[in-house]
Amino acid sequence: MNAMKNIITLIVLFAFTLVGAATGQQEGVDFSASVSRNKVGLNQRIKVDFVIKNSDGDNFKAPDFKGFNAQGPMHFVQQEWINGKMNFSRTYTYYLQPTARGKFTIGQATIEVEGHLYKTSPIEIEVTAAVDDPNADPTLDDTIANNLHLVAEVSKNSPYVNEAMTVVYKLYVGPTLRVDNFDFMDDPKYNNFWSQEIRIDGYNVENVIYQGKSYRMVVLKKVVLYPQQSGKLEIEPLSLNVSMSVPTSKRDFLGRTIYEKSSKVVSAGTRTINVKALPEEGKPENFSGAVGKFSFGVTTTKNTLKASESLQAEIKVSGNGNLRLFSLPKLVTPSALETYNPEYNEKVSVNLSGMEGNVSETYTIVSKYKGKYPLPQVSFSYFNPETKKYTTITSDEIEINVTEGPVFTGTDPNTETTGTNQQQVVLSSNDFRFIKINPELVPKEKSHFYKSVLFYVLLLVPFLFIPIAVFARNKREAYVADVAGNKIRRANKLAKKYLSTAKRTLGNKEAFYIALEKALHNYLKAKLHIETSEFSKEKIESLLQERNVDSENIEGFIELLKSCELARYSPASDVTMQHDYDKAANVITKIDKQI
Amino acid sequence: MKKLIYIVLFLVASFGYAQNEQLFKEATDLYNSGKYEDAIAKYQAILKSGEHSAALYYNLGNANYKLSNIGPSIYYYEKALQLAPNDADIKNNIAFAQQMRVDAITPLPKTGWQKFKERTLGYFTFDGWAVVAVVLVVLFVVFIISYFLVITSWVKRLFFILGFVMLFAAGFSVYFAQTLYTEQNNNKFAIVYVPETPINAEPNTESNTVFTLHEGTKVKVVASLNDWRKIQLADGKVGWVIGEAIKKL
Repeated sequence: MNAMKNIITLIVLFAFTLVGAATGQQEGVDFSASVSRNKVGLNQRIKVDFVIKNSDGDNFKAPDFKGFNAQGPMHFVQQEWINGKMNFSRTYTYYLQPTARGKFTIGQATIEVEGHLYKTSPIEIEVTAAVDDPNADPTLDDTIANNLHLVAEVSKNSPYVNEAMTVVYKLYVGPTLRVDNFDFMDDPKYNNFWSQEIRIDGYNVENVIYQGKSYRMVVLKKVVLYPQQSGKLEIEPLSLNVSMSVPTSKRDFLGRTIYEKSSKVVSAGTRTINVKALPEEGKPENFSGAVGKFSFGVTTTKNTLKASESLQAEIKVSGNGNLRLFSLPKLVTPSALETYNPEYNEKVSVNLSGMEGNVSETYTIVSKYKGKYPLPQVSFSYFNPETKKYTTITSDEIEINVTEGPVFTGTDPNTETTGTNQQQVVLSSNDFRFIKINPELVPKEKSHFYKSVLFYVLLLVPFLFIPIAVFARNKREAYVADVAGNKIRRANKLAKKYLSTAKRTLGNKEAFYIALEKALHNYLKAKLHIETSEFSKEKIESLLQERNVDSENIEGFIELLKSCELARYSPASDVTMQHDYDKAANVITKIDKQI
Repeated sequence: MKKLIYIVLFLVASFGYAQNEQLFKEATDLYNSGKYEDAIAKYQAILKSGEHSAALYYNLGNANYKLSNIGPSIYYYEKALQLAPNDADIKNNIAFAQQMRVDAITPLPKTGWQKFKERTLGYFTFDGWAVVAVVLVVLFVVFIISYFLVITSWVKRLFFILGFVMLFAAGFSVYFAQTLYTEQNNNKFAIVYVPETPINAEPNTESNTVFTLHEGTKVKVVASLNDWRKIQLADGKVGWVIGEAIKKL
């Protein structure tokens, strides 16, 4: 069915081309050269025609037929009127006999028309060894080989890895052949390429010039390829089975050319592509293999939201290049935000220039805590094969504000000073607090108390108080423990107390003895609880005896009293006074001990 | 002559310090009217003059937070916490700054002693702990002397126990003071200051990247070699990072 369609298309278009050929050459001057064959045996001849159309020229100059013996020229003029329009052509014909083997070029012929110089294109002729039958017609195979070509056109022979390239398979059919049908034998495999075939809606026949000859051409197949590794990569050939009608030199009885059916497998030949690796120089760290020309951006659906609401952040790369063949940069979010795995979207169309469109990843982000969350910038790098340079696009910084909700108080887990659990949540009334108004500035190089001399002194000196205190306590205990000594000390104290007045008046005889007597009386008064009126020496004596005081001491006491009385009336020296004072003290002490 | 120089120096210094108060006031106004960059410039000028305070670092942290500078804001809050470990404002706002971070690090489980130590350490600065130690030693001496002087046996026993409790506590205070002192003077902690930095297995660029850290993460510096610093995270991971990527506290 498909083949049938192909045939119809070809036939229709063939008809059109004939009409086009008839009408297209009526205007303007055309001067061209044509040869009967490009390849010739040494013992064969070639016919060369130089044709000037639509106008007659002067000063025709044939080229120098180097390598050939030329015969000619033969003139042939044709003039015809069709629908009131004149067609004119003059042909100069030469017959060439090769003189040597090799490749020769028939140079340019020139002609002058109304003062303008016209030239033909040079034609290459290959002269081969002599053939067996120099006058034989070209064979069927020769005709097919000269008129049927399957060509794989590669857009780039040395692309970069991941740079888009295309292979277009074209079938060229010479004007004499009639293609009846063709089949694809085998679809080529593109190993180490990412490939996508571009669908062709119907075959479109075009008239083109291929290798200096006019052909009808059909595009059979278009494939977009992205090489996936560097080095020499081979593209397998495409093979096509073509059935056709080939004209022969035989004629039927009406003089028409007899066509012979034939079929041939043609193949496009293996093509080797030299794939260049991407340059290492200037390769960004985050390069993920994108080659082409792109634009890049990060967008969010909203920037202000409440806790537990969600938003979408989209990372999008659009442009022209290997869109499906690289990974998108990842969006990194603060850990306090909950981010779900992204959803991948693509809108990519493939045409001859490669993939075009956009790919994106959409992240859903849920905020749990109040605060401000700057999303870190995302960078995307690609290689631009046109400029042969890497380009890095960095997205704008996006800030998400969560206006209401609980506050995240996870203090830094590294802090040794404040170690609370990361997940702790406090009341939602907490807000970001204002700065402090009071500077309270201190010099940075403040001398510290810790490790200062004062610190060590204050830390260690108190310990010294312990031995001091212990020593003092021991002293006091010893003091308390000494009973006899204590009593003496007490009595001495008493005597001193009573004798203090006497001591002060030591030297003044009268005052001293009055004071001494008074002191003795006072002592007795305090000790024996007697009144001054009861004082008599006998009474004192008996009282003291009652209290078991030694007679010696009693005597001493009485004597003292006596000497006090006596002294008032007798002279007394300072020495006596001192003696009496000491004696008094002594006696009081001794009596006190015994009472 | 020497005295004269000192006097001049003192006058210059005090003049400079008076200017700082003025700068601080201006910065407060700038902050309040939303000109955070200008406020930061003023605060930095104060820092340059050789004065600092918890309030100054806190304000710097706030201004940087407003500008979404993750690294600097956490850095200055941490500096502020060093000077005022128990300040509620700083603790509140550092939480806001920390949630801008990308890295979530789960700390290793802590022993009861570590938790106690961390909770307790924060009550004072090391100078504060030094004062506490002195007071406790004095109390110890007072109790021990009282123990010697008092005769009643249960009171004696009470004073003895109290005394040694004080001595024990004083020992801890000195230990805490020393811990905080070394922590601050050896600058063991640092903040990641660049948006993203690879952490390598060895201190060179050729080695494998073990993991990646992002701005604002606090790391402990355990060793250094040339330009490289060996860091440890709270979850126990270690690796080498180029010194420029982090800023020591």
